[in-house]
Amino acid sequence: MAAASYRGRRMVAALVLLSGFALILFRLFNLQILQAAELTVKADRQHRKAVSVQGPRGSIYDRHGKVLAINMDVPSVFGVPASLDDPSGVARDLSPVLRVRAGEIEKKLKQERSFVWIARKLDPEQGRRLERMPLEGIGVVMEGQRFYPKGPLLSHVLGFAGMDSQGLEGIERRYDPSLRGEKQMVVLQRDALGRTVFPKGLHEQVPSPGHNVILTIDEVIQYIAEKELEEAVTATRAKGGIVIVMEPRTGAILAMAVNPRFDPNTVQAISADRWRNRALTDTYEPGSTMKIFVAAAALEEKVMEPETLVYGENGRMVVAHTVIHDHDRLGWMTFAQVIQRSSNIGSVKTATALGAERLYRWLRAFGFGERTEIDLPGEVTGLIKEPRNWERRSLASIAMGQEIGVTALQLVTAVAAIANGGWLMKPYTVSEIRDEKGRVVVQVSPQVRRQPISPETVHTLSKILEGVVTHGTGSKAAVPGYRVAGKTGTAQKIDPKTGAYSSHLSVGSFVGYVPAEDPRLAIVVVIDEPQTEAWGGVVAAPVFRRVAEQALQHLGISSQEPVKLAMTTSSEMARP
Amino acid sequence: MKTLTVVAAMALLLLYVWERVEIVRVGYQIERLKVKKVALERERDELQVKLSALTSPERIARVATEKLGLVPPQRGQVILVNVKPEAPAHGEPAMPDVKLARNESVGKVP
Repeated sequence: MAAASYRGRRMVAALVLLSGFALILFRLFNLQILQAAELTVKADRQHRKAVSVQGPRGSIYDRHGKVLAINMDVPSVFGVPASLDDPSGVARDLSPVLRVRAGEIEKKLKQERSFVWIARKLDPEQGRRLERMPLEGIGVVMEGQRFYPKGPLLSHVLGFAGMDSQGLEGIERRYDPSLRGEKQMVVLQRDALGRTVFPKGLHEQVPSPGHNVILTIDEVIQYIAEKELEEAVTATRAKGGIVIVMEPRTGAILAMAVNPRFDPNTVQAISADRWRNRALTDTYEPGSTMKIFVAAAALEEKVMEPETLVYGENGRMVVAHTVIHDHDRLGWMTFAQVIQRSSNIGSVKTATALGAERLYRWLRAFGFGERTEIDLPGEVTGLIKEPRNWERRSLASIAMGQEIGVTALQLVTAVAAIANGGWLMKPYTVSEIRDEKGRVVVQVSPQVRRQPISPETVHTLSKILEGVVTHGTGSKAAVPGYRVAGKTGTAQKIDPKTGAYSSHLSVGSFVGYVPAEDPRLAIVVVIDEPQTEAWGGVVAAPVFRRVAEQALQHLGISSQEPVKLAMTTSSEMARP
Repeated sequence: MKTLTVVAAMALLLLYVWERVEIVRVGYQIERLKVKKVALERERDELQVKLSALTSPERIARVATEKLGLVPPQRGQVILVNVKPEAPAHGEPAMPDVKLARNESVGKVP
């Protein structure tokens, strides 16, 4: 009996257990097989989160690898008004960290919205303080912010990027497709606690960062140019100015300074007028610097020789019912002296001998009236009328650098063609583009546009231009120990009120190259509306000298001075 | 024989479970390291911005002139020496090609 009841109890227990297992099996079958598809979708929706991730923007470096623009993640603070119990208390806590009045924060937090930005792109230090504060309903996210660590240095060339890391001006705009990081939808997998877990397929998606851009700019020469320009603009109470330093053999830009400057880090507060890179977006009437190209044409066309005698009409000549003056009452002079003393009358006579068609063709050959095709946005073509549209006075005007609009960049590029033996180069500011691992993606090599002038003519012209500095109007551009060739320019500006040439608004300029026997630097200096003195030889030539002197020393370009003097110095220095 | 099969099956099962657990564990470890990497990268960028700002020529010039009382070198104080790399033909010692960077007031250097 006992045995039978024992067996009976065992049967009951087994039955209970088995039906339990059967229930579990049934549930499993139900979940894993019958509802499988539906539940997988549901689970994935909870585990996975798709987010749009953008790789960081590439950096911009100078030719020696100095950082000029870089991206950095900085904290931004947001609030979720719905989950806040005490908005005014939270606002009071945040106020000292964010350095914003509590009232303003409170106003944002009391809005009827599910999400509100409280402050964007803060200091990393502020972010660290916020993370230590246990605040409900307040969150911190990191956002990429563009930094220009050198402040206003090179700002007109670099340009700037906007709030969403899009290039808006300068290099940032022109090279945006290279600099911009890849944008990708990335699926993150999260566990029950919301932590990100490594993806199941062990395949990780990471959007690649933007490429790095390496410039031809030399940070130190850029600084020298900006500093000397700023001093000259202040001293002459000018409206502004431009300095460009170019490597004549390659067309690489070493420095491009535009004054007044701006800080690309605080660009929102500045008017668009200040961003413009006026070295290539604005034209001006160049004045006497144009005589270089009139001379080049005359020499190449064999209309003039350096020793050809030209009569200066004692400083006064009538052309097309208007009187042309020279600043000195010049009599007979050689053609070389016409350039060196910057005689308007001599230049007009030269242009007349060339004729309108040839003068026009030559100016076009040197690149006036067309873009230099530099790799920066906003470049203009300049203004040079075709001879059929010229008026009676036009030939004379153009010979003196009036009735023609050029950019400072066109001028220095054309002078560089004389410096390098006759090759008109395409100026450029970016030498290399590299990916994030440092592999070269794009390598830019110098490009010749054409050869407008023969090496023999260049040689003759260079001698004349050296004379401008040694015994002509450009004496203040002389760099001790080096041979300098160049030309001064002083141009009256058109008064916007009267539409006629103003008696007090002018542009003073100097353009030249150094060392004349083996040019390494071509430099243009333009001072816009100087108040103290108008002459290019007075306001611009000294800036050329100071920039050239320091740049030559920085580059380690030695002078052609004899060894004797150096030995004297060392023996004197050896004395106790 | 039967026991051996059961033990082997158990061992395989355990190996499989251990492997799964390990994948999850290492996955979390990778995620932790990734967070650390991002933090370190941020610190690096921050330092790079700082370094770049501190070495800007404008600041160096300001510190040199205002704080340290330095002045730019005057004419004659900088002498550039060009050494020609090719060896002389007759075994004479190579004479450096000395050239002056700036020539004026050379005699007045103290």
